[in-house]
Amino acid sequence: MPPEAKTAQGSGSGSPSVVPTRLEIKRSPSDVPLSPPEDVPVFQVDDLSVYYGSFRAVRDVSMTVCERQITSLIGPSGCGKTTLLRCFNRMNDLVEIARVAGKILYHGVDLYHPDVNAVEVRRRIGMVFQKPNPFPKSIYDNITFGPKVAGIKGNMDEIVERSLRRAALWDEVKDRLKESAMGLSGGQQQRLCIARALAVDPEVILMDEPCSALDPIATGRIEDLMEEIKSEYTIIIVTHNMQQAARVSDMCAFFTAEVNETSDTRTGVLVEYDKTEKMFSNPSDERTENYVTGRFG
Amino acid sequence: MSAIPELSPHIRRRLDHELRDLQVKIRSMGAASQSMFESSLHSIQSNTGFDEVIASDDVVDAYYMDIERQVLDVLALQSPMASDLRFLTALLHVSLHLERMADMSVNIVKIGSCVSHLPRNNSVMTTIMEMGSIALTMIEASMDAFANRDLDLSLRLPLMDDPVDRLNRGIIRDILPMANDMRLLEWGMQIHVVSRQIERVADHAVDIAEQTAFLITGEFREFTDASHPST
Repeated sequence: MPPEAKTAQGSGSGSPSVVPTRLEIKRSPSDVPLSPPEDVPVFQVDDLSVYYGSFRAVRDVSMTVCERQITSLIGPSGCGKTTLLRCFNRMNDLVEIARVAGKILYHGVDLYHPDVNAVEVRRRIGMVFQKPNPFPKSIYDNITFGPKVAGIKGNMDEIVERSLRRAALWDEVKDRLKESAMGLSGGQQQRLCIARALAVDPEVILMDEPCSALDPIATGRIEDLMEEIKSEYTIIIVTHNMQQAARVSDMCAFFTAEVNETSDTRTGVLVEYDKTEKMFSNPSDERTENYVTGRFG
Repeated sequence: MSAIPELSPHIRRRLDHELRDLQVKIRSMGAASQSMFESSLHSIQSNTGFDEVIASDDVVDAYYMDIERQVLDVLALQSPMASDLRFLTALLHVSLHLERMADMSVNIVKIGSCVSHLPRNNSVMTTIMEMGSIALTMIEASMDAFANRDLDLSLRLPLMDDPVDRLNRGIIRDILPMANDMRLLEWGMQIHVVSRQIERVADHAVDIAEQTAFLITGEFREFTDASHPST
């Protein structure tokens, strides 16, 4: 069962946030279970549709994302993968004409409830983007920026080291923390962005094609890193690289785009959602089969 | 034989080409192995053509090596998925079964050659030919089912195999009375091995049918299990 919603801090006195505090969602390395994780739901998506104005970009998505698993979202361009990913931490709030219908429950709490603080949501549910986008600041400042904004108290040096170690970047940058992050290679910059996301101690990391701008070696490092941090974090990744989805994810969701001939618009639909090995060896839906084998539908 | 079913058009032309090529090759290998088995039956019946059958094993072996190499190349280079992936792993099994069948045809003619100077029992020979005829039909059916993705046909293979097993078990009763005639007994004991080889050929056909069912359904299960005959 998801933990019961708790009153969160820092959301004003009148209407307390109902996002559960993550204190109860264990985090320190000593809490990491030795046995494989149980399927504990983190997100329950229920009949979700996303509109941009009158255009429906995604329709009727229902799926459950479980804790400490890597869930991949795959499908052709325009099938709504990124739109859906951005719903998980309310990034679409920043798009004025975007509107969400249906529900996303985060540990049983409606993420889009008016009382829920979107900033707090984004602290707990971090995001890594397609292109590495470090701030034009030092490596150190990149990491401490988030914790400072979030009002996290603590030894910043420790946070920097811990975050960089978790992102498997510490050994490469420990002697030049005060140097500009822009001097790092693309792969290092992306791991820095992951470290930056980890610095605010999130529970979930959303990744939007995190390796599309990286070479195979840097991609391999990121994939190894995902595997390592999976024991502590829940990861949802959008990828165009099916082999990557097959390699890294536990669960995989395939989306496709329905074309509306009259309006010449495309609406994303969830076709199939299952264990990754099933999706790539014996999918149930013919559309998934056609996509993963590279056939026309 | 039925035509190879048309695959859906593939975005990746190279993979598409490779899969179609392998479809043709496994079909040809099946025909070669089947023909070899048929010739081996004819050879022990007529006491002729032993060397030709043995020589034709090279053709089947060449198919086996070629298919295995090509499957490995496709796996390494094309990252096949789902039914394409299952087709390729099934090919590795099916080509090995066909190669083993060809080896058994060689065994049959080698025995045939050894006993060609001995007297024979026509009744036992009729049983051998009956078993061979059923096994031959099974090879053709299993390869048709594989080529046409015919689950119903593949599921019939274990039933077709039953009379072969029964005849193989019963043939010893016809051989034991030959004990009074040492030359006839020698022939009978050698022919008992032939019977066993034919029974194994039929088993390989059943195994090909299992691969066909896996290719179609994505779930592998043994049709029969000698260690758990009741399941």
